[in-house]
Amino acid sequence: MSITLRLAWRNIWRQPRRTWLTTGAMVFSNILLVFLISIQLGSYRMMIDNTLAPLTGHLQVQYEGYKDDQQIRQVVPAIRGFAADIRRGLGLTSVAARGAAFALVSSEDRTYGVQVIGVEPEFEPLVSTLPGLVKEGRYLDDAAAPEVVIGTVLAGNLKVQLGDELTLLGSGRDGSFAAAIVSIVGIFDSGMVALDRSFAEMPLEFFQDTFAMEGAGHNVVINAPDLFAVTTVQQQAQALLPEAQDLIVYHWDDLLPGLQQAIQADLASAWFMYGVLVILVAFSVLNTQLMSVLERTREFGIVMSLGLTPGRLGWLVILETTMLGLLGLGLGIFLGGLVTAWFAVNGFTYPGLDEMAVQFNLPDRIFPDLNAISLLVGPVIVFVASLVAAVYPAARLHWLQPVQAMRVA
Amino acid sequence: MPIMRRVSLAALLTLLVLSPADGSAQEDARDIISAAVEHWRGTSSRGVFTMTIHRPDWERAMSMRSWTRGEKDSLVRVTEPQRDAGNATLTIDNNMWSFSPKVNRVIKMPSSMMNQSWMGSDFSNNDVTRGDDIIDEYEHTLLETVQQNGHEVYVIESIPREDAAVVWGREVLRIRDDNIVLEHSFYDQDNTLVKSLLSLEIDERGGRTVATRQRMAKTETQDEWTEIYVEEMEFDIELRDSLFTLSNLRNPRE
Repeated sequence: MSITLRLAWRNIWRQPRRTWLTTGAMVFSNILLVFLISIQLGSYRMMIDNTLAPLTGHLQVQYEGYKDDQQIRQVVPAIRGFAADIRRGLGLTSVAARGAAFALVSSEDRTYGVQVIGVEPEFEPLVSTLPGLVKEGRYLDDAAAPEVVIGTVLAGNLKVQLGDELTLLGSGRDGSFAAAIVSIVGIFDSGMVALDRSFAEMPLEFFQDTFAMEGAGHNVVINAPDLFAVTTVQQQAQALLPEAQDLIVYHWDDLLPGLQQAIQADLASAWFMYGVLVILVAFSVLNTQLMSVLERTREFGIVMSLGLTPGRLGWLVILETTMLGLLGLGLGIFLGGLVTAWFAVNGFTYPGLDEMAVQFNLPDRIFPDLNAISLLVGPVIVFVASLVAAVYPAARLHWLQPVQAMRVA
Repeated sequence: MPIMRRVSLAALLTLLVLSPADGSAQEDARDIISAAVEHWRGTSSRGVFTMTIHRPDWERAMSMRSWTRGEKDSLVRVTEPQRDAGNATLTIDNNMWSFSPKVNRVIKMPSSMMNQSWMGSDFSNNDVTRGDDIIDEYEHTLLETVQQNGHEVYVIESIPREDAAVVWGREVLRIRDDNIVLEHSFYDQDNTLVKSLLSLEIDERGGRTVATRQRMAKTETQDEWTEIYVEEMEFDIELRDSLFTLSNLRNPRE
């Protein structure tokens, strides 16, 4: 161990209480940062998962522009075979074809306009959580049966129960009148009012017959194994598309631009708060180091008159701060990781969270995402900021006049 | 002071002179519209027409028969193409019912759906049902009178009253002196032209001169439109009361 290093170590323990206080500020802010960033990343992941899971999925193959215009004529031709090709090409089973149309759905005495979706009963449960959310009855199981599953809110609005018949009235792909009578085999409860109120799912083949689709559909939903693999799967799927059909693989970000925007807005406001925290800690370090330099003015004057260069002295101060910072970093990461890990297992909640969480499709308990990023980002920034804060006390030494310095009482 | 008095007196006089004139202009405008509605629908009518829905890559034509009585009741029945024959809509007051022979059911159109397209066309359900509401639910102003092909054409601005259940900010009608609506433009609340109904052909039907070909197009998408061509039309005929009933909608007797 070099002499400077040993000297720096001894110097920071000359005032143990002051050192512990400064380190404490760092440790505290590091614990807070690790915890908050983990919570944030965790809630974003859940927000994305929960929003995409019921219907949207990670990726959708559509006719170019369908996502904006939603015209029944913007189709993916021969969609079931096409979905099978994608399934084979990607080596993923979580690929399902869908058709979608607007229709009037009417019971004995009520009528509502809803989005009717034709699904492949066999594959839909692999890309969507909706089949698992059926609370009454069952999900669709026959590809061509005149059956429908609807949301609880719609069922309430229509005043219908399991087994009742509904009349559908809409326009087919060729502009002809589309009409069908279907029986309700299942009622789902997703907890998302928009979904529970205005969606109905029926088997794809029956949908195609009803809306004169001639084998076509509107989108093929693809779920990647996890969120990080989405872009890769998107590229693979894009390569599988037949040419000259104007089909596009849309990322969930294209399909639900609001979601990413909400996350970014939240992130921006959070970073502002973290910035304030980091600056406060940096000032506390600046205060400590400036004090420790000022109280040693006489001592520094003596060693400089003995021939020590201001550069080496400045280096000493930086080294002291580095040690202080590393102490804060190590303890902060350890304790922050410990606290966060406990919540990652047990979940985090506070009174009122459940009401707020519903708006963002979140459960009433948030599980922080503890990983290298959430663990390191905050503490490393605090560490760097502390070093920056030490630049001024260290730089002061360059202007120190040994003779004057020695005369300081 | 004397000058002030003179000014206010002048203002008062202007007001006195202007307001009755303004009022009667409103009355005139209202009468013109009311006459045009009356001219088009008669006390009753029976007609045969073709509706063509045009899209850039696609076109579709439907033949229909229609019956109207007064200003509130109407029945429209599709006769061609074969696979759609029998589909029908009945309107009584501002309510609308649809019948589909495929499922043999009648569905009442919920009010939330009244701005949706009627039979897949560029007309909304409201366009079809609200035939004469414009007379009483709007304030009418005669903007100008212009000469066109030997006819006088009145340009009338109609602004819905506060309590009118209407999505439009204002409507502008160009009505010829023989009660034919040449153009009907719909502006939204921000005063942007959304869609307009143009009369493309004017001819004799059932003893009256009427617009025989009308085209509804959204301003933004001029290559998407719906045309209605009147093939036959009879006016002021006897119609059975039972014509405008739900049971007749379901089981046509004519």
